[in-house]
Amino acid sequence: MPDGSVRRQFTPEATIGPFYPGAFLTDVPQDLWTVAPLVAHHPSGQPIVFVARFLDVLKRPVPSLVVEFWQANAHGRYRHPQDQSAAPLDPQFDGFARVRTSDDGVLRFMTIRPGAHPVNSGGGAIRAPHLRLTIFASGIDRLVTQVFFDDEPLNQSDPLLQSIADARVRDRLIARRRTESGEDDAIEYQLDIVLRGDDETPFFDDWTE
Amino acid sequence: MRSGRVLPVVVNDRESERRTPAKPLYRIPDAARDPFTPCAPLPPLRAGENDLTRLAPGRPQAGGEAIAITGRILDEDLRPVRRTLVEVWGANAHGRYSHVIDAGRNDAPLDPNFYGFGRLVTDDEGRYHLRTIKPGAYIARRDIGWWRPPHVHFSIVGSGVRLVTQMYFPDEPLNEKDYIFLIVPEADRDRVIGQPAASQHGDRAFRFDIVIRGRFQTPPDLD
Repeated sequence: MPDGSVRRQFTPEATIGPFYPGAFLTDVPQDLWTVAPLVAHHPSGQPIVFVARFLDVLKRPVPSLVVEFWQANAHGRYRHPQDQSAAPLDPQFDGFARVRTSDDGVLRFMTIRPGAHPVNSGGGAIRAPHLRLTIFASGIDRLVTQVFFDDEPLNQSDPLLQSIADARVRDRLIARRRTESGEDDAIEYQLDIVLRGDDETPFFDDWTE
Repeated sequence: MRSGRVLPVVVNDRESERRTPAKPLYRIPDAARDPFTPCAPLPPLRAGENDLTRLAPGRPQAGGEAIAITGRILDEDLRPVRRTLVEVWGANAHGRYSHVIDAGRNDAPLDPNFYGFGRLVTDDEGRYHLRTIKPGAYIARRDIGWWRPPHVHFSIVGSGVRLVTQMYFPDEPLNEKDYIFLIVPEADRDRVIGQPAASQHGDRAFRFDIVIRGRFQTPPDLD
């Protein structure tokens, strides 16, 4: 932006507060394994369950926190008008979901493991498979971060993950693989996301310059 | 690498104090920067979802003052955000939300004709129009006498833009005492206050334009 006057035009963000309507959750996909009840079509790829627990500075669970997930399909392609990569779209996969934490601060997100993909702004770097999280809750404005998988060798060269110098901090973005969850041969990954505190999860600044 | 913004904490708001990250936000390196804010598919909307004053078309009108809110939604290049989902919610005329969470801490009555949430999709010029009940103020913390002024919550999710904000009303003395309003930098406060506009079908009307960071990507089916 050329000067501060343009910057000041933006509408300030605010918290969703404590009264975010549940109706806004039920009309948006919450489970990306299935396209609709009793439909035989399914997205391509490895089904996974991402189990996230959200904690505050006192390590207490954060209930009714809302996460919007956004991810590439199994081939590494986003259903986004600017993704012109050669990787195919998956007719059964849009990659967007909205999930709320329960009273114990935990959400379970059923999805497929996203594919790796080249950085879409060019430059040739390869992004390791990851989930993109936009986080809303009472008391906080919108937060964004990305979550990786601990059994993925490409993490070693992911430009976002490796931009965090401290390995202990990087680890806070890497979900741990647990045993097979038993649900349709899905692999389960788990991660604690700490909103504030000594072992705070890294969140990113996505405001444009 | 420079670090990013430090997010402000809302004073006297325990949830803000316990949940707002304390460290500066991390900057996204250029090598990982791409424009992919979620491209949420539009859910099907029912008729009348932009009229919060009735549970459904033909049903009785809720109590309180019916108002119209209109505006345009623009991206950072001031281009219209077309056919994007706008979700709105707010308290009833008594300052009570229909949400179950409000049941235990708010003595104000529910209104059987008001749920207080609705949705709409912007037109090709980024315009939206909704009708609701002017929300009442309500007490957020009795122990310190913190009242929330009347406000309407807005959420915009589309291809390339994402914003959640709250619209306040002009000439409300409670605005200047509200800790959530006061977190907005002084120079920006006008941008979260709806401006009086010509009445619409007898309803008092407010104009609320929204400018969102990010560049809206027109989906191919809209080209």
